[in-house]
Amino acid sequence: MTQIEIEIEIEIGGKSSTFQTSLPYRPTNNNPLVTLLYQSPHSYILLCLYLCFYYSIQYIHSIFIFHKLIFCVSLYACIVNVFASIIDPKLANTLIRLLNQIAPLENLRHVKRIRKKQLEGGKTELLVILCLASENDSHLDTMQHDVRELFNSYQLSAFITKVCKFPASSKEEWEEQCKLWPTSYHPPTYNIDGITGFNEEDSQSVFSFMRFAVELAKSGDGLVTNAAVIVDPSVKKVIASARDEICSWNIPTNNQTSSFKQPDTCISQSNSNRIIAHDTLPSNGSTSKLKQLCTGASCLYPWRWSEQELYMPNSSCWHPLRHAAIVAIECSAARDRQLFPDLGDNEDKSFELDHMHSSTSSPAKRQNLENVEDTEKLDTLTEGCHSVAARPYLCTGYDIYLVWEPCTMCAMALVHQRIRRIFYAFPNPNAGALGSVHRLQGEKSLNHHYAVFRVLLPEEVLSVEL
Amino acid sequence: MASHEEDCSPDTLAFMELAIQQAKLAMDSLEVPVGCVIVEDGKVIASGRNRTTETRNATRHAEMEAIDILLEHWQKNGLSKLEVAEKFSNCYLYVTCEPCIMCAAALSILGIKEVCYGCANDKFGGCGSILSLHLGSSEPLKSHGVPQGKGFKCTGGIMASEAVSLLRTFYEQGNPNGEEGCDITASCDVQFALIVSSKASQTSGSTGNALNMHTYSLILTYIWVLSQVQNQKLTVENI
Repeated sequence: MTQIEIEIEIEIGGKSSTFQTSLPYRPTNNNPLVTLLYQSPHSYILLCLYLCFYYSIQYIHSIFIFHKLIFCVSLYACIVNVFASIIDPKLANTLIRLLNQIAPLENLRHVKRIRKKQLEGGKTELLVILCLASENDSHLDTMQHDVRELFNSYQLSAFITKVCKFPASSKEEWEEQCKLWPTSYHPPTYNIDGITGFNEEDSQSVFSFMRFAVELAKSGDGLVTNAAVIVDPSVKKVIASARDEICSWNIPTNNQTSSFKQPDTCISQSNSNRIIAHDTLPSNGSTSKLKQLCTGASCLYPWRWSEQELYMPNSSCWHPLRHAAIVAIECSAARDRQLFPDLGDNEDKSFELDHMHSSTSSPAKRQNLENVEDTEKLDTLTEGCHSVAARPYLCTGYDIYLVWEPCTMCAMALVHQRIRRIFYAFPNPNAGALGSVHRLQGEKSLNHHYAVFRVLLPEEVLSVEL
Repeated sequence: MASHEEDCSPDTLAFMELAIQQAKLAMDSLEVPVGCVIVEDGKVIASGRNRTTETRNATRHAEMEAIDILLEHWQKNGLSKLEVAEKFSNCYLYVTCEPCIMCAAALSILGIKEVCYGCANDKFGGCGSILSLHLGSSEPLKSHGVPQGKGFKCTGGIMASEAVSLLRTFYEQGNPNGEEGCDITASCDVQFALIVSSKASQTSGSTGNALNMHTYSLILTYIWVLSQVQNQKLTVENI
């Protein structure tokens, strides 16, 4: 077992302290687990940071924000030496073009080639990276041959400086990097909202939507099923909600109404956080009873559908795959088709015409078309808050709240439908695909990745009040 | 798992040809060209093709379409759940592209007998490419008799070139609807966070009282795992 050295910087209320420590690195495992325990002097929280390293230890270079505590985990290995030189601003264009030809910074594309430094008296100074320098030998002779020629012909004066080896993965990290040498930062294409914190309002809405999902799960006749609530977090609005429908799904009207219903606690007053959490804790109900009740959640026992005859004797219509998440996706797709009917109807001969309407999405132009039936229908259906331009692509940007961790089928369906974040309350040890059995959010090859959060609720919230 | 075309029976090729017909139908409707047929006792009993664009529901894959047809049909005929399960256990699926993770999980839930597919699915495949759901669960039955994932026999590479060329044609035209294939090149970082209500931490009688409860009504603990490891158990000690 080798040790790697890391430097930890802790900043609390403006005071910053730095210490170095070594952590075990287990090369036997592709993803060595490093556990770092730190006892915060501020709050006595024992904070466990589990850093699973990806590919190699050098890959981690991130800033973890824990409310006001900033943990800056930086690794020496993340910094590389380069030769840089002060140049005459007039030569900047020529030199950069030449340097990009003879010494492109292939693996350092995030590093800016040129740096502008403000000097005293309003003067600026231009610095340019010539080429990579070797780790140990900083002598000028080690410089690449053709760069050296250039260096000599322009009579530059080189020095060694440090740049960051890897692109920044967060804005905070990028700001840190730029202190060393400017880099470019492209926010990640996958979503990392929430990772830097939920403010009080966000936390409240998370709790209220989760409570909505729990209530929905309990709304059946004594049988608790899984429930799914798809939410547009930008307007805190329920897009679709559904329960498991593997036993009977003859209730399309019910879906329709619930799809547009708002949880009444949606945006409640501040300081009610604890109250919401408290409200959801009725303390009756024994564990054994709960266990029995929970068998209604189809994601927990997806393979059991053929045995479930006894639970719903009068079911005329059933479907073993209509788990809550799948049904909710269907509802949201139906809503999409209903609200934005003029797009995607490929078979429709009036497709082109419709398409023209859709491009006239500005309110003024729409007024001119108010006699057109389609447009009218659209306006009434959109409840005045959706324009055609706002038509979602699948569930991009939406969150889903699930009472139980989804099974593999549902978790993958949520990948397909481009859900942004998943919140679930209870793990699914049998079949869960967000960490229990599989972990789809970590499958690198998938073309979409959601962020997964678990909302810790006591099991008692599931007991049905009689 | 992969097999060569010369090993296939003429029947297999004929069924796959029908699946490819379905894929072409999908292509004609500007859908990602994937099609399938389900076969019982040597007869095609259902067929399906991708309808993700038309329905705006990205889960409406060919397999799901065909499965829905069967379920509806069998229920109309008054079959019980057990009888339907029995039926599925005698069915063969022929699909032009390896079932995705969702479809493979669905096929496992239904307990299908066998799957033959054309080309592999490097991005989503649930029958060997990304996950191997066709192998079922390696764990023995739990003590309380909860059935675990069922496996099914799976054969790939049947008429793969035809299936691939359809997909290639489609994507070369440019998928007018989706952003498939061009999404993410960045490595995936896994984010996993536990939201702990302050109430929960209080009742658990931990050191929670020492916290500035009024300041942080919620303890948000972020466990940021940069990992694609599966079955990684996360535990938070002593919050």
